[in-house]
Amino acid sequence: MSLATTLPFPEPAAGRIPGNKGIWVGIFCELTEFALMFIVFFLARAHNPEAFHDGPARLATSAGVINTVLMLSSSYFVARSLGAIRRNRPRHTLYWLGGALACGVGYLIVKTIEFAWYGEQGINGSSGVFFTTYYYLAFNHLVHVGWGSLGILWVMARTWAGAYSPEDHEGLEAFACYWHTIDLAWLIIFPIAYVWH
Amino acid sequence: MSHERKLTLAWLFLLALTLGGGYLGETAEPGLGITLIVAVVIAIKGRLVIDHFMELGGANRRIRRLMNAYFYVLPAMVVAVDLFGPLLARLTAI
Repeated sequence: MSLATTLPFPEPAAGRIPGNKGIWVGIFCELTEFALMFIVFFLARAHNPEAFHDGPARLATSAGVINTVLMLSSSYFVARSLGAIRRNRPRHTLYWLGGALACGVGYLIVKTIEFAWYGEQGINGSSGVFFTTYYYLAFNHLVHVGWGSLGILWVMARTWAGAYSPEDHEGLEAFACYWHTIDLAWLIIFPIAYVWH
Repeated sequence: MSHERKLTLAWLFLLALTLGGGYLGETAEPGLGITLIVAVVIAIKGRLVIDHFMELGGANRRIRRLMNAYFYVLPAMVVAVDLFGPLLARLTAI
């Protein structure tokens, strides 16, 4: 059965704050933290152009692509889960969140395999400035995906318990914004670490 | 166009950009060209997620501007590192 529905879709009011103010304080703290790490990465690149020329070629681009697909898909599923709750379809919300959780867990599995493969190649966080900054960024992001996945479990439990309705789903919306932020961070990490050589 | 359809189109476009980026990472020669593509792709992907997935398109102006600015400034830094790398290195040498 298609998850699409013919019920009217209530458009969010213009000028509103998605989720709540608290989550945006957290989101901007997270983005500041990532921005500092990106600046360190850029400055390290300016100081060591050769290391950053050779480094990306030693990373597993296919793993980076798969993880980007997983992150984007999880974000899409979370966005669809919001649409479902606004149409008063909590069961569909659970399906979409389940898809997002599968993607989050898939990301963690792919990343674990990828790091293990680097280990077999003799690559670790001490293998030069490129890998030091790469591991710092990637591992930090991995931790965010880990606890973000726990967050998906939490909003799934709340949905299952009937805590969200078309009129009140602030918690789900706040979590969605946070999860999209984790996605956004990876959308910068992937191109600068895997593609930009 | 329905909200769901817009989301799906944004998702498919993001996936296409990702596959293109992966291909580029494997085949492209280093240089300013790839730097510009990386910067533009970061900006486009960021804007798509911010506008459609985060639903900030018509939301609180301050939040939207700050989020959009993030995805103007970071790509600009990518280009700046490529164009002015030696100068940046000199200015930040300890």
